[in-house]
Amino acid sequence: MEAIKTINLCKEYKDTLAVNDLNLEIHEGELFALLGVNGAGKTTTIKMLTGLTKPTSGDGYIYSYSINDEMEKIKSLIDISMQETAIARKLTVEENIEFYAKINGKKKEEVQKIKKELNDTFNFEKVYKKISSKLSGGWQRKLSIALSLVSNPKILFLDEPTLGLDVLSRRDLWKVISSLKGKVTIVLTTHYMEEASFLADRIGIMKDGKLLFKGTKEELYKATNKDNVEESFVSIVEGE
Amino acid sequence: MKKSINRIFTLTSRNLKEIIRDPLSLLFMIGLPIFMEIFFYFIFHKLTSQFEMKYLAPGIVVFSQAFLSLFMGMLISLDRNTSFLTRLFVSEAKPYEFIFSYTLALIPICLVQSVLFFVIGGIIDSSIFRINMILAILLSLVTSFLFIGIGILLGSLCNEKSIGGVSSLVIVCQSVLSGMWFPLEGMSEGFLSVMKVLPFKNMTMIVQNSLNGYLNLFDDLLLPIIIVISYTIVIFILSIFIFKKKMKSN
Repeated sequence: MEAIKTINLCKEYKDTLAVNDLNLEIHEGELFALLGVNGAGKTTTIKMLTGLTKPTSGDGYIYSYSINDEMEKIKSLIDISMQETAIARKLTVEENIEFYAKINGKKKEEVQKIKKELNDTFNFEKVYKKISSKLSGGWQRKLSIALSLVSNPKILFLDEPTLGLDVLSRRDLWKVISSLKGKVTIVLTTHYMEEASFLADRIGIMKDGKLLFKGTKEELYKATNKDNVEESFVSIVEGE
Repeated sequence: MKKSINRIFTLTSRNLKEIIRDPLSLLFMIGLPIFMEIFFYFIFHKLTSQFEMKYLAPGIVVFSQAFLSLFMGMLISLDRNTSFLTRLFVSEAKPYEFIFSYTLALIPICLVQSVLFFVIGGIIDSSIFRINMILAILLSLVTSFLFIGIGILLGSLCNEKSIGGVSSLVIVCQSVLSGMWFPLEGMSEGFLSVMKVLPFKNMTMIVQNSLNGYLNLFDDLLLPIIIVISYTIVIFILSIFIFKKKMKSN
């Protein structure tokens, strides 16, 4: 079943075509990594699919709901973790989870259940009562991703979730993201090729708003005659 | 509707915690005004009548509210720049819920400021303890809305680096154009006319005259209230418009 489908999706800003005729299908439960250099159109694609910006033309469907006409229905199915650490800075980890659960209309009993589940997945015990702004970058980013799961989304958009983290924190987050595979459909944008290689079921490569490639790692290697994601990416983007 | 109200209260509670858990905000919104109220009274009240407590305490109440713009602006600016608002916008929260929650979060702080500065003033000079003090506290809430609106507007417009400097202008304007820190006698007619049409002196007049009484109800109280409310309405309409626009562009 397709969780996401876009048909000739375009976004134009003044004199720039940020996304150009994007046709994409993402299957339910898979982790799809969207790769591209800066300005390739990855974040704009995510913004259109999450209702943060309207397409100029074309349409996208989240479980058959149109992003042009049915965004209110879509909002209950999705969540997002942006590249910035979007947390309430002066609230504790526990208060952040409670806050975000209440914003999403969760009842008291549900909030307790969510807290327990997130604690199990993210091992927040050590930092549970700490003010978020005093946590390390890695813990803040973990919290940011944890918050995006509070609404129990069917689709999770992770926009460069490990940007700026040290290698250990990044690997730690990969484990967490891996543990979510299959439970939720994930669309991940990243500049780290090894991240895409480690996490993704399928990969999409964008350049200047166009989707140049979509497929599995193996299909990517075959198409480019290379044996790793980074070389394959360079080959496709540079048009070798 | 019920969901929306619940979200507004949840956001309000979070916004209040964000502000009061910042030691700097408490220092500037509460600590500094208390220091100034005591310091200026004991140094200057025998030299010039404008530092008598009946004028100083209401002036300090309005002056302290100018810091609301600064800290409200900083909170919104940071919420925008860290994508905190974007994340909530992807959930079912609506822009008007944010505006309500930012505004509601500051009302208890305004009340604490007013009551505290009047009580401290009253302890120093008990003659200001009078029934009109209740009216002055209530009307100080009216003046606070303008500063809250300015904070939302600036927070929507500025980034986290520029918000401090830009908001400081509001504090400087409240200091210079309210006429509470220096005598108005001898000032040029032109400057006094500017002060009359801007909200700063009018805000101070509202709280001072509601505490101390007035000679002419319209000129001394109603007209300043009309001027301040007019500015507040314009600023809030602008804030809502720009906030919504920025939410979309972010």
